[in-house]
Amino acid sequence: MFAYYLQLGLRSLRRNPMLTTLMVMAIGFGVAASMITYSVFRAVSDDPIPNKSSQLFVPQVDGWGPQQNDNGEIPGALNYVDAMALMRAHKASRQTLIYPVMLSALGRDADSVPTSASGYAVTGDFFPMFEVPFLYGSGWNADEDDHRAADVVLTQEFNQRMFGGANSVGKEIQFGGNTYRIVGITKHWNPAPRFYAVWGEDGFSEAPDFYVLLNRMLDLHIDSSGRNSCRGNLTFTGWDQWLQSNCIWLMPWVELDTSSEVAQYRQFLTSYATDQQHAGRFGWPANVRLLDVMAFLTQQNVVPPESRISLIVALCFFVICLVNTIGLLLAKFMRRAGEIGVRRALGATRREIYTQYLLEAASVGIAGGLLGLLLTAVGMSAVTLLFDAEIAQLAHMDLSLIALTLLLAILATVAAAFYPAWRAAQVQPAWQLKSN
Amino acid sequence: MLKMTHLSKVYRTEVVETYALRDFNIDVKEGEFVAVTGPSGSGKTTFLTIAGLLETFTGGEYHLDGIEVSQLNDNARSKIRNEKIGFIFQAFNLIPDLNVFDNVEVPLRYRGMKAPERKERIMGALDRVGLASRAKHYPAELSGGQQQRVAIARALAGSPRLLLADEPTGNLDTQMARGVLELLEEIHREGATIVMVTHDPELAARAQRNVHIIDGQVVDLAEDPRFHTAYTAAAGQIRS
Amino acid sequence: MMQIKPILSALRRHKAGTVLIALQIALTLAIVCNALYIIHERLAHIAEPTGVDEPNLFAMANLWGEQYTKQQAAAKIEQDLITLRQLPSVADATPTNGYPLRGGGWDNFITMKPDQVDKTTDAAVYAGDEHFLRTFGLKLIAGRDFNADEVRDMGLREAVTPPVTIVSKTLADRLYPKGDALGKSFYSMSSTPITIIGIVDTLHRQDVSTWSAPYKGQSLIWPLRLAQPMGVFYVVRAKPGQLADAMREAPKALYAENRMRMFPAKDGLVDYRQIRQEAFERDRGMAILMGVICVVLLAITAAGIIGLTSFWVGQRRRQIGVRRALGATHRDILHYFLTENLLISVGGVAIGTVLAFALNLWLKQNFALESLPLIYVLSGMVILILLGQGAVFAPALRASRVPPIEATRPA
Repeated sequence: MFAYYLQLGLRSLRRNPMLTTLMVMAIGFGVAASMITYSVFRAVSDDPIPNKSSQLFVPQVDGWGPQQNDNGEIPGALNYVDAMALMRAHKASRQTLIYPVMLSALGRDADSVPTSASGYAVTGDFFPMFEVPFLYGSGWNADEDDHRAADVVLTQEFNQRMFGGANSVGKEIQFGGNTYRIVGITKHWNPAPRFYAVWGEDGFSEAPDFYVLLNRMLDLHIDSSGRNSCRGNLTFTGWDQWLQSNCIWLMPWVELDTSSEVAQYRQFLTSYATDQQHAGRFGWPANVRLLDVMAFLTQQNVVPPESRISLIVALCFFVICLVNTIGLLLAKFMRRAGEIGVRRALGATRREIYTQYLLEAASVGIAGGLLGLLLTAVGMSAVTLLFDAEIAQLAHMDLSLIALTLLLAILATVAAAFYPAWRAAQVQPAWQLKSN
Repeated sequence: MLKMTHLSKVYRTEVVETYALRDFNIDVKEGEFVAVTGPSGSGKTTFLTIAGLLETFTGGEYHLDGIEVSQLNDNARSKIRNEKIGFIFQAFNLIPDLNVFDNVEVPLRYRGMKAPERKERIMGALDRVGLASRAKHYPAELSGGQQQRVAIARALAGSPRLLLADEPTGNLDTQMARGVLELLEEIHREGATIVMVTHDPELAARAQRNVHIIDGQVVDLAEDPRFHTAYTAAAGQIRS
Repeated sequence: MMQIKPILSALRRHKAGTVLIALQIALTLAIVCNALYIIHERLAHIAEPTGVDEPNLFAMANLWGEQYTKQQAAAKIEQDLITLRQLPSVADATPTNGYPLRGGGWDNFITMKPDQVDKTTDAAVYAGDEHFLRTFGLKLIAGRDFNADEVRDMGLREAVTPPVTIVSKTLADRLYPKGDALGKSFYSMSSTPITIIGIVDTLHRQDVSTWSAPYKGQSLIWPLRLAQPMGVFYVVRAKPGQLADAMREAPKALYAENRMRMFPAKDGLVDYRQIRQEAFERDRGMAILMGVICVVLLAITAAGIIGLTSFWVGQRRRQIGVRRALGATHRDILHYFLTENLLISVGGVAIGTVLAFALNLWLKQNFALESLPLIYVLSGMVILILLGQGAVFAPALRASRVPPIEATRPA
């Protein structure tokens, strides 16, 4: 029976090519617009580190106070004093501190010219915390952090550029006129969004070139190449005074594996801030927060508003396409009221008429879905016109998107067909055989 | 009132030409009640559609109320239909989306009549057919006879000079048919010209004059024995 | 207009189709006028003037290859500027911390009193020397330019507050609405006052993001040279028509003078065509996407109206024939369908107006969009009503051609 209905459906679609084309186009365009914008939205709103995102936390301490912070919003990063205090307290199983740096890199050849390289100053826990994959070697340990070693980890891409991709662990490299020892080469790793450094960045830029030991960078007065945000009157006249200022620029992360650890850490943050208040450093009661990866990304508004608006507008567009389809299906089905009456007279039950028309709609949905896939594929190549190159390149067609496109098209069309099919099934047997 | 001379109507397809009417002559005087009879496919409906200006003809002349209509454009023809002709169809042809009142109103609307006058005429016409109480009903809620009476009211509302009826009782049972026929006779007595196409001998017998069409031409009744026999037999049956 | 009542009562008998068309028109109106407004906002953003001589300017991100002290960096910059200004294709050059539309950049809170806690406003900060105005081609409308001896070097993490500044007219008017800003002073994250010695006509901020929209065009220039270990921007103004030459010669000349420097591959050497391109990538993308959606949406809505009306015409052939038989002219039938569509459209745009403002309200709450001006809704209404009338015209014309004989055909 199923095959018969499908055959009837296809025949009926062929009989009314104009109306069918119209419906298929509406579904195709609607589904493609939704899918293209969804693929971008998915790329920017995805969990960048799914298996650990609920164990990684950003501790936040308000060092500005209610008068100077942004409308009560707790600052997204830490100043040096608070950051160092949290690190020294070491209340988490793993913890790291991050800031972006930009340095000139020099290969070992005598005649080589400097090339600009951007990376992150991090502590040793960075690598195991974020499960950074290594091609050669590894990160460094806490000892080396303490000894302020001149260690650096290069990324696969940068190692390719500087050493032609060879295993360069143990070799030396010059950054900003100083020599560093290469301890590891990472495999390609650039979570999108780059959650660990999203404060002050758009979160979707190209992979960094290196990770260098934070204490070493501080010793050498290597400035942050990223955002630095201060409040009140600025009185610092150099590096050391700046470190003591309220300027925020350091990104802290802690790893907390159980909910009791989370609770304890939260308590620790509160007591730290309260202590600062008692010590007179903060003129306000403790204002702290401990956010996991997804909460932090939400707080930092990582998803570009454009991406969200586009998705919403595209979905509205799809809804309109569906309303359109309901109308056209209604027209199409009711045009055959006579035929339905005859079928009913010949013994078709309501249910059978209903099924027949839903299946006919499903075949429209399949056709619309296929057109939608085609348009999505075309649209994907034009996505660079619509979004930043960095974000556009994240959007891609994969099996799940293809499946979703087809499924959405079919389900939506069948849903749109419920009412028209119901109307068709209401036609009385043979009623149309009588003259009007 | 209605005069056709040497009128012909040809349907052309790629291969054949079919004469629906050929050298067709008829003259209906003002105030006459004429029944047009004939077998299926004889051309009676074609005659009626041409008479009602629903269709054009191929050759000959047609004077309606003294006007040669073959040269009129579509708008002028619409105007004549609207003002001079009332139609009664076999299938009633009420507009299912409109209620009784609105259905009767349709031709008056196209005449650009003011609302108070329209209302007066509509209610008058509905009164006439005994359906004033059903003004707010939709056609689907009425019986066949009632629907046909609404259709007659619609035809009457515009006070047409010529009433064209196509098998007006064809879809009705005897009881209802009789009522409709009595209504037509009453309208005729009040002075309207009625041309009615029918294949019902009883109906035809009630008209003042019968015109018989065979193969697209008017034939003399008396000269066709087959028809004469059938006609008298049928008439006799009904009378008994 | 003569037959509104019977059309309405006929529509009541075709509720589903009527509701569907009206709903589609309503939703389309809601989307289209918001989309048009987004397009307008984005295009207006893109069209904002920078106030600088864009056709002849380019910027170089000069990163030092070695760690320089403040003194070393200052000397290197001095030398670089001499080299740049001597190039035959170069009109002038200035060292700076950024340029309009670069994105991000330095901004300071502005207060009118030294101990004021809440900021009065926010200004983008440009650091430049006495060549800054000339290089950028800024129009000084009041006061004077910097003197060479006012320009100070600013080293690593030194919070320097120069006593004098040149501000954009927008900032001047924001601080002193009466237009008497020249010679007056304000404070900027410091307890020392800053005196306005000059006012330039327009100077766009470095950043283009939404947070700074309330401070649009508010910029100040400080006589500072960034003598910092990381590097400095050089903005170069080429002689008219020689931009390409200057862009080729400048890096070559600087490399020749001192090879221990880099111009990063990404944005290391950019002219304003490229700067604009990158600054407004998102805006342009948004405008294009909204435009495409509008066009396709209107096309689909028109197609839907054509489809449903064609069906109605097909379904009502017989009653059209009856109407014709009862005296309706071609024109009457045409008008019937046009009026019918007009009634549905008017209903649709009425609902659509409510939806449009609701959608706008929601966008406003979530995406810092401005209030939808009435003119967009009005033009949306006109567009949709015309679209409806245009779409219905073909089927209506077909309906008007239904011959009266249709009335006598068996159903």
